[in-house]
Amino acid sequence: MLLILLPSIPLLGAFALLAVGDKDVNMPFIASSITLSLAGWGLRGVFRGEQLTYTLPFSGPYSPTFQADILSCVFVFLAAFLWWAVSIYTPEYMKKEGRARSFDISTLLTLSAVLGVFLAGDLFTMLLFFELMTISSYFWVIHRRNEEAIRAGYFYLFFSIFGGLLLALGIVFITTATNGLPALGRGSIPPVEPRIFAWGLAAIVAGFGIKAGMVPLHLWLPHAHSVSPTPASALLSGLLIKVGAYGLIRTGELAGWGLQWGNTTAWLGPALTILGSCTMLLGVIAALLQSDAKRLLAYHSVSQMGYIILGLGICLFLGNAGGLSLIGAIYHIVNHALFKAALFLGVGIIYVRTGETNLYNLGGLLRNFPVTALLMFLAVLGITGAPGLNGYASKTLLHHAVSAAAETGLPLMVWAERLFVLVGVGTATSFAKLYYLIFLGRPAKVEISECESRRFHVSMVILAIVMLGIGLLPGLIPQILAVPAAQALGIKGFAAGIDHLAFGNANDVVSALITLGLGAVACRVGLATGVFHWTPPLWLTLEGLGSILCHSLRVVGRVANESYASVVRLISSMGRAIRLSVSSAYRKMNNSTDGALGSITLPGISADAALLMMTLAILIACYTCIDLQLPNLRLPLSFPAWNIFQQLPH
Amino acid sequence: MIDLVLALLSGAVGGLIIAFMPQCGSRLRNVVALSSSAAGAIFSWRVAGAVLAGRTIRIAGTNGGLAWSLHPDPLGVVFALIASTLWLFAAVYSFGYMAGEERQRTYYTYFLLALSVTLGVAFSGNLVSLYLFYELLTLVTYPLVIHERTEEAMKAGTKYIVYSLSGAGAILIAIVITYSLTGNLDFGGGALLADVSPGPGLGWALALFVAGFGVKAAVIPLHRWLPQAMVAPTPISALLHAVAVVYSGVYGILRVVYSVFGHELIGQLGFSHILPWIAAFTILVGVIIATQQDVLKRRLAYHTISQLSYILLGAFTLHPWGLAGAILHMISYSTLKVTLFFGAGIIAKQTGKVNVSEMSGVGRQLPGTLTAFGIASLGMIGMMPLNTFWSKYYLMKGSVAWGKSPLALVLIVSGIINAFCFIPTVVTAFTGEMRQPVANKERDARLMLVPTLLLAGIALLIGLCPGLVWPGVDAVINRFF
Repeated sequence: MLLILLPSIPLLGAFALLAVGDKDVNMPFIASSITLSLAGWGLRGVFRGEQLTYTLPFSGPYSPTFQADILSCVFVFLAAFLWWAVSIYTPEYMKKEGRARSFDISTLLTLSAVLGVFLAGDLFTMLLFFELMTISSYFWVIHRRNEEAIRAGYFYLFFSIFGGLLLALGIVFITTATNGLPALGRGSIPPVEPRIFAWGLAAIVAGFGIKAGMVPLHLWLPHAHSVSPTPASALLSGLLIKVGAYGLIRTGELAGWGLQWGNTTAWLGPALTILGSCTMLLGVIAALLQSDAKRLLAYHSVSQMGYIILGLGICLFLGNAGGLSLIGAIYHIVNHALFKAALFLGVGIIYVRTGETNLYNLGGLLRNFPVTALLMFLAVLGITGAPGLNGYASKTLLHHAVSAAAETGLPLMVWAERLFVLVGVGTATSFAKLYYLIFLGRPAKVEISECESRRFHVSMVILAIVMLGIGLLPGLIPQILAVPAAQALGIKGFAAGIDHLAFGNANDVVSALITLGLGAVACRVGLATGVFHWTPPLWLTLEGLGSILCHSLRVVGRVANESYASVVRLISSMGRAIRLSVSSAYRKMNNSTDGALGSITLPGISADAALLMMTLAILIACYTCIDLQLPNLRLPLSFPAWNIFQQLPH
Repeated sequence: MIDLVLALLSGAVGGLIIAFMPQCGSRLRNVVALSSSAAGAIFSWRVAGAVLAGRTIRIAGTNGGLAWSLHPDPLGVVFALIASTLWLFAAVYSFGYMAGEERQRTYYTYFLLALSVTLGVAFSGNLVSLYLFYELLTLVTYPLVIHERTEEAMKAGTKYIVYSLSGAGAILIAIVITYSLTGNLDFGGGALLADVSPGPGLGWALALFVAGFGVKAAVIPLHRWLPQAMVAPTPISALLHAVAVVYSGVYGILRVVYSVFGHELIGQLGFSHILPWIAAFTILVGVIIATQQDVLKRRLAYHTISQLSYILLGAFTLHPWGLAGAILHMISYSTLKVTLFFGAGIIAKQTGKVNVSEMSGVGRQLPGTLTAFGIASLGMIGMMPLNTFWSKYYLMKGSVAWGKSPLALVLIVSGIINAFCFIPTVVTAFTGEMRQPVANKERDARLMLVPTLLLAGIALLIGLCPGLVWPGVDAVINRFF
């Protein structure tokens, strides 16, 4: 019962907000506070190892089920907490954007949908909330209602719809292959038809990959995240794309972590590793080239999702030995949500006060925004993986996992490890650039409306405290959340590995510091040489390819329509010609008493009779030439007319 | 038994009362129309309840094989339920839409007669009755197509008649072949031709049946009458050309596949393996052409062509899941498509805008209408909280289980094109700038809006709880498999 209650609280909040009209209520704050406390109270049993389930008593092919295992709980808490923290920030910010009420309503609906996804107990329910989330968050993206927002909205909507359809296809394949209803949180079902099962997994990975911003399906993400209002960007980057990651983890669970069914699922690990590496690399390269702060952060979300997908891929590749990797991925999901939200909120503060998000128009704001600068600094340290903050912990875990995979000697994994390091440097570079251009550097000529506001800082401070807490006690989250979650998901063989993992390992700290240093140097070089201003040619970017594809699709549509129209024209002109010739011939016949048909004259027969005879002749010819194979042809003796004949007195 | 007769007669009686009523006030006429379509719906529900509970209802002539026969089975009652329920909504919508139009008496007369004939198609128990009612449906709906009496309408009417009657001719020949092979045309037992060994005669019969019923089911290339018939008033386009008339063709094909041939025999005919691909072709081409249309009703018409082939695809997928998908799609597509047409009608009536390119900003003027329209367009994609998700799911599942997975991909691609077809319209309607704002004519808007919103709500409800319609689907599957 609680499992339905959790998603319905924000839903009720949204209705209440509709009902109260224009009164000034911070409903997202109220609803997420209630949700957070209710979840804390209600889900405590889960951490003792229980699994909550609830099924709505619907008849027919679909009865919605809900479940909560530890993985669900991690995500539920993360979502409720993030919504709560951001909702403190929202009212002040929305004064600049306007239409606060509709924004709040879509925020509440999205929270409800997100909680529903995490608590869903079967794939249908998950898809239901997944689609609701798409629709409700769509209103975030188009909030500004300008051309750019509408365009980004189309991107978002069409990609998400495509993702939903792929998920539906995947569910079809999986249910057909396993002859069962696709339950979640109960391990995997052995497939009856392995090939169809593999196709289903591929479709589901693509479907969730769209939400997770997996290259090459990430094209919607930078647009959507940069045009939506900042609190929405924070939640989109912080949590909504993690829904995709959550789905991928569940896919791994459905696939039995690639262990049991040989080739049916063995491809999944390497495939996800490749996709994750590409996502990491392309995201960070694109981020380096951005001049808009929010777009830079958005591309970094792509890149960081690459870390998570890579972690999952390695876990699937290594099987039971890859538990570390799964823990790293889950841990990184939590951490990324925290620091990415903080970064977006910080950039949002700059935007509210200066009206500017272009990095090259900003600079030297350290004096005007000291508190924001400090909080942003913490977040930047977090995302770049500096020791002492949360990003370090999860990145170290992931790095260990990747190194372990590289030890297998498979070239793919060796390259993944190298890329991992390279992307770390790239991340440091681009955040050095972001921080330098906003807070240091030449003072900009922007107008600053009003300096610091406390209400903005409250939510950033909350996020920063949690980040610092995790950074100082890096073993806490793995121990209480990530390890039990992974164990509940069916991965066993790592419990020993995690215990002796010391996060303060000198090697790790030194390599993290080297990464940071290299990043700073690279940033200095890049700014000096102007590499960051390079715009790649259209055909080289996925965006460009996407737009070419889009354009060609439009051309296909037009060509199809034109050829259809010309075929129709051709046929109808032929039809008209036949009709005209036939009717003129018929008229000629009717006028002549001798019934002439072309050059043949049929003396003494009226034209109608001639036609009838011809038709009969054709039919007889048909019957004799084409064998219809009609055995036992019987007369319809029960036909009323026949009855009359039969009843005649002899 | 009495329910069956009453269901069948209620529309005809109402229509005749209106026909022979002197030109009196519209209120009385509306009462007659509403009560007779309500009666049709109620009695159809009662018949459906009885049939789904397993009772046999049969009225037939006594003179053997070619006698008329009414013998509803699960497939028939599902069709009857869809038609009669939507008729009620369309009747209410008509009161709003037709207010102030000319020739209302003719309109309501044939509107109600068509209800009877459609129910006749649904309830008929052998091929002869099916054929008779099928022909009659063409004749009864012809006056509704030419309602406007413009030159365009007359041309569309002629085209409609020519296409439908030639299709019916093909069906007649196919019936003759069937009768000559078996001497029995009753649907009551198993499949009619089940004992006949496969041969070219059967192939001819199947081809003729599919071509004949395919005219009304608007299979490309037999679809040309449908977009032109959109000159009819919107409730007629919504009900007849998106549901009742076209469904009689679809229903005919379902009958042919499952009652006349039976899925076992038809699987042995080589021709039957081409059929799903014809349907898939129609699905894709129909929706691609729909995206290129600017007149909203024409766009909806081509979209209808595409969606009807979803049902045919399910019918030709000789697998229980495919049949389940077909039946579910009959139910869910009809609710959503009627919603879309109703929305288009309201927009046309209230703002005078019929082209998609003019629709920017109408959402602010007609928020309720466009919300319903938006829900229905999401449904056409096959998104989860709507009923079409389930039909699409089972259609895909049927094709995969039957071993033809590419058909499932066709459905996915069609879903995406569907999104391109309607979503931009809805988005610009809400966010675009309104060019030349038109004064909102409030009159009678509610009579049109309420059925529209209700239907969208029903679609959502069935989507959340497909168990509501599942007994019917289950009964149909059990009947044929």
